Parts: sequence; structure tokens; C-alpha cells
Amino acid sequence: MPATTRTTTPALSLAGVTKTYGAVRALTDVSLDVLPGRVHALLGENGAGKSTLMGVASGSVQPDHGDISVDGEQVPVLTADAATRLGIAIVHQHPAVLPDMTVAENIRVAVPAGRMSTGGSTRAWMADLLRTVGSTVRLHDRVDGLGVAQKQLLEVAKAVALEPKVLILDEPTAPLGADQTEMLFEQVRKATARGCAVVYITHRMAEVRRIADEVTVLRDGSVRGTSRVADIDDDALLRMIIGRELAAAFPAKHPPSDDAPEVLDVTGLSGEGFHDASMSVRRGEIVGLAGIVGNGQSEFLRALAGLVRSTGRITLDGRPIAGRALVDATAYMPADRHAEALMTTMSVRENAAVSALPALATAGVVDRVRERAAVDEEVRRLAVKTASIDTDVMALSGGNQQKVVLARALLAGPKILLADEPTQGVDVGARAEIYQIMRDVAASGVPVVVVSSDAKELEGLCDRVVVFSRGHVVGELDGDEVTEENITSTVVGAVTLRRQESGPAAESGGGSRLRRLAKGDYAPSVVLALVILALGAYTFAHNTRYLAPFNVSSVLALLSALAFISMGQTVVIMTGGIDLSLGPLAGLLVVIASFFLVDGATAGTIVLALVIMIVVAAASGLLNGVLVRYGGFTSVAATLTLYIGLQGVSLLLRPFQAGFISTGITDLITATTGSVPLAFIAAVVVAVGLELALRLTPWGRGLRAVGSHEDSARRLGVKVNRAHVLAYVVAGLLTFLGALLLMAQIGVGDATQGVSYTLSSITAVVLGGASLLGGRGSFIGTLLGAALIQQVLNATTFLDLGQSWQYFFQGFLILVAAAVYTQARLRSRRAT
Amino acid sequence: MPATAADPSPIAGPSAVTGGIGGLLRSGRASRGLVTILGATILLFLVSLVAQPDSLSRSSLQGMLPFAAVLAVIALGQTLVVQQAGIDLSVPGTVSLAVVLVTHVPDGDSGKLLPAVLLALLAGLLAGLLNGLVVSRLGMPAIVTSLGTNALLYAVVLGVSGGSPTSTTDAMRTIATGALLGLPHAVWFAALLTAGTGFLVKRSVAGRRFEAVGDNPVAAGLAGLRVKRHQLAAYVWASLLYTVAGILLAGIVTTPSAFQGDSQLLPSVAAVVLGGTSLLGGKGSAVASVVAALFLSQLNQLVLTLGVNPATGNIVQALALAAGVAIYTIDWPAVRARLRRGRPRSAVA
Repeated sequence: MPATTRTTTPALSLAGVTKTYGAVRALTDVSLDVLPGRVHALLGENGAGKSTLMGVASGSVQPDHGDISVDGEQVPVLTADAATRLGIAIVHQHPAVLPDMTVAENIRVAVPAGRMSTGGSTRAWMADLLRTVGSTVRLHDRVDGLGVAQKQLLEVAKAVALEPKVLILDEPTAPLGADQTEMLFEQVRKATARGCAVVYITHRMAEVRRIADEVTVLRDGSVRGTSRVADIDDDALLRMIIGRELAAAFPAKHPPSDDAPEVLDVTGLSGEGFHDASMSVRRGEIVGLAGIVGNGQSEFLRALAGLVRSTGRITLDGRPIAGRALVDATAYMPADRHAEALMTTMSVRENAAVSALPALATAGVVDRVRERAAVDEEVRRLAVKTASIDTDVMALSGGNQQKVVLARALLAGPKILLADEPTQGVDVGARAEIYQIMRDVAASGVPVVVVSSDAKELEGLCDRVVVFSRGHVVGELDGDEVTEENITSTVVGAVTLRRQESGPAAESGGGSRLRRLAKGDYAPSVVLALVILALGAYTFAHNTRYLAPFNVSSVLALLSALAFISMGQTVVIMTGGIDLSLGPLAGLLVVIASFFLVDGATAGTIVLALVIMIVVAAASGLLNGVLVRYGGFTSVAATLTLYIGLQGVSLLLRPFQAGFISTGITDLITATTGSVPLAFIAAVVVAVGLELALRLTPWGRGLRAVGSHEDSARRLGVKVNRAHVLAYVVAGLLTFLGALLLMAQIGVGDATQGVSYTLSSITAVVLGGASLLGGRGSFIGTLLGAALIQQVLNATTFLDLGQSWQYFFQGFLILVAAAVYTQARLRSRRAT
Repeated sequence: MPATAADPSPIAGPSAVTGGIGGLLRSGRASRGLVTILGATILLFLVSLVAQPDSLSRSSLQGMLPFAAVLAVIALGQTLVVQQAGIDLSVPGTVSLAVVLVTHVPDGDSGKLLPAVLLALLAGLLAGLLNGLVVSRLGMPAIVTSLGTNALLYAVVLGVSGGSPTSTTDAMRTIATGALLGLPHAVWFAALLTAGTGFLVKRSVAGRRFEAVGDNPVAAGLAGLRVKRHQLAAYVWASLLYTVAGILLAGIVTTPSAFQGDSQLLPSVAAVVLGGTSLLGGKGSAVASVVAALFLSQLNQLVLTLGVNPATGNIVQALALAAGVAIYTIDWPAVRARLRRGRPRSAVA
């Protein structure tokens, strides 16, 4: 329906949108108009294309074809950034939050500063914002430690704060309790009252009735109909959603006879997410585990497969079983196919055979002929559509990939098959085939346990359904009782009891200031400072000359060079990368300097030399960044290439030591005030400056955002590629500063110096507490890390310990520091 | 406005796309990496023949091959670690420790060589266990762990040697540099280890699962594989290979220094990358890494015999590495599409 027939211009209009992923068509010629001041519901099953469509509307997915208009103006290319500027805000189903940053920082990244400074303090404004959406988190809480509901509310708060023209909500109520849902609806009503157009994605018809004005149904990537909510009844909607009569999609049930033996019996099983759950499964049966996502049924299923720890009693064929034996006797199919089931660079054959290999081998060696025969037969039996069993598994459609996972499970010859959401993201045709296969498997004597959040699916597929809520079994439906209505009412009846997730305030309890410090970015710095002081005191007690002005001065000068290079390394590591080329770059810059900054150099020459050094440093960083972001290189591969190349250039320029740096220049660089070198003061100033920039400027927040969660950062409109490339360039420039100090210390062009700074700088960054996964770190910590490295080297000589001890302490420190930080982070993550 | 139910026919599951060259090569049992690096190596030897026949003279080859063999054995180990999405920076320490143990412990007495070799292997085993246990059990990044382990190993190296070199034993020299069928023993050692490791990884149950764990540890764990054990095995096996390489090196170099392993780290990573094994982990080719080690060694030899500045070798190596990675990782069709559309898209690292 063209926009011109409307009296009002749609706030958002999509026309003829098509999007394919490889062999899978996610959207086909989809059109959608959303009017200002109205709520437009988008309804459809899992995998119908709802989220992809909204990805297109919010600029995070680029369509293959189709037009996007905002307020009647056509937008040629809609990026996430442009969408934000045009007033489109989205609340993602999986919140686009940055786990390593605080709540306040997450809001700052998403909301322009201008919007927050409407009189009063920004923090008060943010606290107010969180209250209006019903969030109980504190601004300084790290998002990493928040529960799903609180993350979702933070996501809502960020979107609401933008006062958008178009607000897209993608299944926002899934993790929310009743009160929170009510507050969310209140926000939606406020938004529409302001004239905002709301797109509300859901698969719950009740919510559509409550809040929406119009409804569009998607199925298999196409629009199946659009209507005013008031003009359509539930049956008609349901027909559009599922597309065919229920009975047709499911195979006939074969309920087991009453004397069918019990295969699996579970009594009082408890573990993380489920408590005191009991059930049994008989031969020939398909048993469903129902419940809203996140009520312990998936964790329970994993415990049945022996994949997570549990206490209680499991018997298989009448014998108690646990641990490895349980893993070997069962086959488990995860819900998240790409992340948790497929070996994505491997073929169909390799994926299918991996669990069954021992049975296909003789004396530990895989028999290729038997392997091919077994996989071939299974692939044929399950009707996997693939060119050959040697095809890359990622070239298959979702449904066929799922059949490969199923083939893997069946080839292993399990006593019981356990499947978590087996039809998620699977097209309708393949879904029916998968149901048939499961029925055949059950009939062949291997019972099946299925977790599904789709009550219709459970009704059609299962002989018996066990309902979970809050980790407990709250009901069991057998035979004719297994209907969508019964399942839903048991689930819903239990949902009213669902405890609302409390804010972290309740979890941390007393002493939270100290705990927060311990979890914060500065804990490593405090520890390092204490270690430095203790080592200093110990060394001084042994040898009082240790604190002689000359020694202090020389240690500070040496550590300054390392500190600058390490700060450069910190910038790159903050993005989740690593720069191996910084050491050789420092060496090359010194070599370059040795051609110019010699005795008798004019002011012009000196300036020229500095300019050349800066250009080389920046160019090296740029090349690294471009290779990593545009060349598909990993950061190790790219910077290793530059490592070797830069080292080669250095050796080419200075095969032997030569070119003495003018003492006038070195004196200038090594000048001190008292016994403190000016260079050290500069290093401290730069570290503090960078630290502040990291916390307070858009650059710093963007840098941490990119390292913390790249996809979220992109969806938030952070220019991801630019942030990465800039990080490598900044690292090069900081290395230039370090190289100036290094040059003054060495005093001569020497291609072999500098190289060792690569590993030292990584050591300093790790000691400083940065996470090599990106997103977390501190320049102060890095400075202290560099200080500790230099101090250890120096102190061992005063303690009359040999070179061997220098290495020992370095190795010991880095392993202990990394182990402590890693464990601390894992614990804080696990605690929530 | 009434509901308009559209075409009810469901989209049939799209038929699978053929595996293309990847699939052909897989069924032909050779990886793309192996084919590429083999081609490049043959090309390099042809260029050597034309540009500088001296670089292929008997004496030149006899000089190059033992070092190529050492690098090959190290690259073999590095490949295993990279297949588990790690990187092993403890190569220098492990190699150097093996070198000083088999030179300093016997101190010229061939009779004490055997216990020294066993001691070196034990040290290698311990180093591998340290790396492997810390990475697999504590979940620490491999790059940090192996950096720390390397420093600890050097502490031992300096403790044993005091930093000074000692001449190798006669027995070790004979073992490493003697020739069989015209090829130095070291080459035979490397060939045997390559064949053994390659066979284990590609054909054994443990090796096939090893690759699956490297590709997707989460999925492997949920499929019932013992993820931590496979990860540990990578580091232990690799460390033992570095140790063997160090022992060989101690026989090839008359008076090996205490820092003999330093020069081996970067070429070993370069060889793995050139061999087409992704630094993100997963499938890899031991044979391709070994061929890449030969490629790098001959490249050095060519530069050396050409008499140009040896530093040129570094630059050529860097260019070869860049070209190698670009061939494997750049999504060329996407690049062409991007150039046509003139709009940058994020690269997949």
C-alpha cells in the first residue's frame, strides 16, 4: 500500500525489502508503514524475519534491495549512525550494552551530551531516566554484573532518552516481570502521546491486543497480512502466523504402551538454574520441557546430558549414571546452532562424524571408508540437502544445518536424545521433517526430550510435557492434556509467581564500596603500587644505595621509555587487538634519528627528523590498522608482518651501530629536576591525560566500547573501523615519544635495540590489569606495570641476584598477575 | 482494512551450494594452504635456480637444510598451538633450554648425552604442562601465559648456563649432521615428526577431535568432547617438538649460545601463517607449515647467496607473509563488490 493513499505521512516506511544470507532468504519483498503516534505490532514465529527487518530499519543490517523512507524522505543508505540522527531508536532483543562499562557510561555512549544537560547535573538526569523505566541499578554499576532484565531496562532507558521519532522494541518483555512490563507499556503510551511511531515486535498475541493499533504478520520472511488490531480476531492472526493447519505439520503421535520400560529416571536433580527437579522418560516417548526462556529447563537438559554439574540421582536403564558415562550415553543438541553446535570451518562430514569417531575407528585411527559410508547413509536418511558430504557446513540452510547436528547426535548411537529448541531459525518445510525424524527416533527406541518455548510445537510433537518455572517443575501434562492452552496456562499460572529480578544492590550487601573497588579497573593499580612499595622497601633494607638520587633518576628515565611504548600497547589492547610491531618501530625511529640528530644538526634538520619520525610512526600504525580492519588480518598476523618488515628496514639502514646522537639533544631529553627526569614527569602527565580521556571523552568511550562488545558498539553508532585504525595510529605516536627517550639512552643508531620492547610492553599492560579481550584497562595501571618491570630489573642487582632472577621475577609476576586478574573477573561474572 | 493473507506456500529449504574449490580440495585430501605454499616453494626454487644457482649448490643446501629442519619441527609445534586459537611465545625459552641442557650437562662428554637429552625432554614436558594447564584450566590467554613461561624458562637457562655458551658433544654433532641417503639426519628427524604429527592430527580419532575443539570449543564440549584435554595436549606436544628442535640445533651449531632459540619464534609463527592455518584456530595443515618453513629458509639462503644486505631477507619475508595472509583471509569477491559500491564494510578478522 503506497504512502500517498494515507492522510498522514508514515514516520517510517519500508518498501520491497529483500535480504539474503548465503543460501538463506531472510526477507522477501517486505513493505511496512508505521504512522506517527501509533503502535504497530510485528508478529511472527521465531525465524520469521522480524529481527532482520528491524535491523534493516535501524541501519544495522543492509538490505539487498528495497527503499527506506523516514518522514516521507527516502534514505539511500541507512547506517546505524544515520538512523540515530534521523530519530530512529531501537531496543534490541539482545541488549546492545557494553559489558565492561558502567551504566552511566553506557548511557553516555548512546545519548548525545546535549540531551542530558537540560539544567541540573547529568548524573541526576540519568538517575531520573532509570527510575522512569523502572530500573533499580546504580549509575556506577558495571553492566557486566547486571541481570538480563536490568540490561533490558537499561536498553529501554537509552532508547526513551533519545525521544525518538520512531521507537523499535524487539521482544522487550521477554525477561521482564509483571510490574516492569507495566512500566514499559506506560513508556510506550507516553511515547505515542508525543507523536512517536512505535514498532512493537513480539510473538505474544495478548500483548498485541493490549498495546498495538496495527499489526503486520511475517512468516518465512514475507508479509502475510496487515490489519488494524480491532479488525481481526485471534484465529485469523494465528492462521497468518502458522500458515497451515496445525495437524499437517506434525507427525502422528505414538504414545508408548503402559508397560513400556522406563529409560531415564531423574530424582531431585539440582544445579545452577534448576532445583529439585524430577521426571522420567519411557521407551518410545517424546517428552517436552515447557517454560518461558530462562526458567531452568535448558540448564536441566544440559544436566541430563552430563554437561553441567548437578546433584541428585539420574538412572539410565535402571542403573545410576553420572559424569563421563552420562555424557557418552546421551546426545545433546544445543539451541544456538552457530555458536554452540557447528564447527563452522568444517564440512558436513566432519561435523556429523565428530561424536561417533571412536566407533568408526580401528585402533584409534579413523577408517575413512566406514566414516564416509556412515555419514552418507545418515545424511540420506535425514534428507539433508547438500551437494556432497564434503560441502562446507555453513553453505547449508538453517534447517539443513540443524539436520547435520541431528545426524551427529544420532550417529553417536545415544540411549536418549536431548534437544534444546531444535527448530529455532529453521524454515517451515525443514521443521516438519525434523518433527518426523524425532518421532521416528522415538519409535526406534531412543526416547527424545525436547526443550521448546513454543507451546504449539510441544502440543504437536510431545507425548508428555513437563512444565518448568523458576527452576522448579510446576506441572506435568500427559496424553490428551498436552494442548497449547494447557501448556500456556500452566506456564502463565506459574509466571505470576515469578520473582522480579532484584537490582544488584540487594546482591552485594554490605562493604560494597570495597567490593566495587576490587572489581574496578583500578584494583590492579592499587595492588601494583603496593608491590612496588614493598619491593622498594625490601631492597632499601638490604642496600641503602638503592635510593641514591643517581639510581632513582636512572630507573625513572629507563621506565619512562617503556611506559610510553606500553601506553601505546594499551590503546591497541583496549580494542581487543595486540601490536607486536611497536618494539621494532621504536628501534626504526631511533635508527632514523641517528641519520639526522647528530652533532652539528641545524634546527631545520632537527624539525625535519622529528617530522619524518612522526610520519613513519603514524604510517606504521595506519598500515597495521588497515590490514586488520580492511584486509581481514588478525592483529597478530598484521603486526607480525610489520614487525619483520620494520626490523628489516632498520637493518637495511644501519647494518652496524653508527650515527651518534648529538649530546646537546640527549642532554635536553634526559634533563632532570632534582633527581626526577623531566621525561618521567611527561610520562606521568601523558598517562593521567590519557586516563581522563579514556573515561571522559567520546574517543575514550568509543575505544572501550569497541573493545568491550564490537557489535553493540556498531549498533550504538560508534565508528568501529575508525576507532580500531585510530588506536593503531595512536599507538605508533606514543611509541614515537618512547623512541625519543630510547634514542637519548642508547645514543647511537642501532637496529637491534628496541625489538625487546614489544614483549616488555605487553608485560607492562598485563601487569597493569588490562584485559587482552579488550574493553578494560588503565593507563595508570600500565605506567605502574612498566615501573614494576624496570624496578625488578634494577632491584635484583642491588640484591646481588643474578640475571636468572630477573627473568624469574618477570615470568612469575606476569603469570601470577594474569591468573589473579582472570580469576577475579571470572568470579565477579559468576557471582551475578 | 481486512487482513490480506498472502501466498501461503512456504519457502522450500534452499538447495545447498556446492563446496566449490574448498570442497574439491578437501575430498582430494590437500588443504588450500598446502597447495598454495607448495606452489610458492616450487616457484622460489625455480627463481633461485635462475637468479642464483649457487643458492642450490650442494654445500649451500647442506648448510640450509639442517636449519630448515629445525624451523620445520618448531613450526609443527606452533601449528598445534595455533590450531587451538593460541600462540606460543615460549618457543625461545624452550628451544634455548634444550640447547643448554644438552651442551652444558655433558660438557663435551658424549657419554652423558643420553641423560642430558632425557632431562631436556622432561623440561620440555614440564614447560608444556605449565602452558597447557594454565591456558586450559585457568582460561588465561595463551599469549600472556607463554610470555610468562618463556621468562621462567630463561631463568632456568641462565641458571644452568650462566649465559655462556659451551661446545656441543661429538655424539650430538654426529646425530644431527650425519647424512643418510645424502640428506642430513636432521631432515630425516623433521620428516618423521611431520609424518607422525600429520597422521595423528588428520587420521586419528584424537586428532580429528583436536581440530574440532580448535574450531569451536563450546560446540565441541557440548558434543561431548574433552575440550581441556585436547587443549592441554596441544601445548605439551608442541613443547616436546620445540625441545627436539633445540636438541637438534645443539648438534648443528658447534658452539650454540644460551639464546639460540630467540631467532626461532617469529619465523615459526610466520611459517604457520604462510601454511594457511588460521590464527583463529581450527583446521590446520602440519605439512603446509613444514613446507612454509622450507620456503622461509630457502628465501634466507637465496638472499644470503645473492650477497645483498641480509636485511633484505626480512623485508622479503614480511612481503611474503603479507601476501600469504592476504591470499587466505581477504574475501576477494567482497572486496570487488565493495570497490564497486564504494562503501567500506567491516572486515572479518
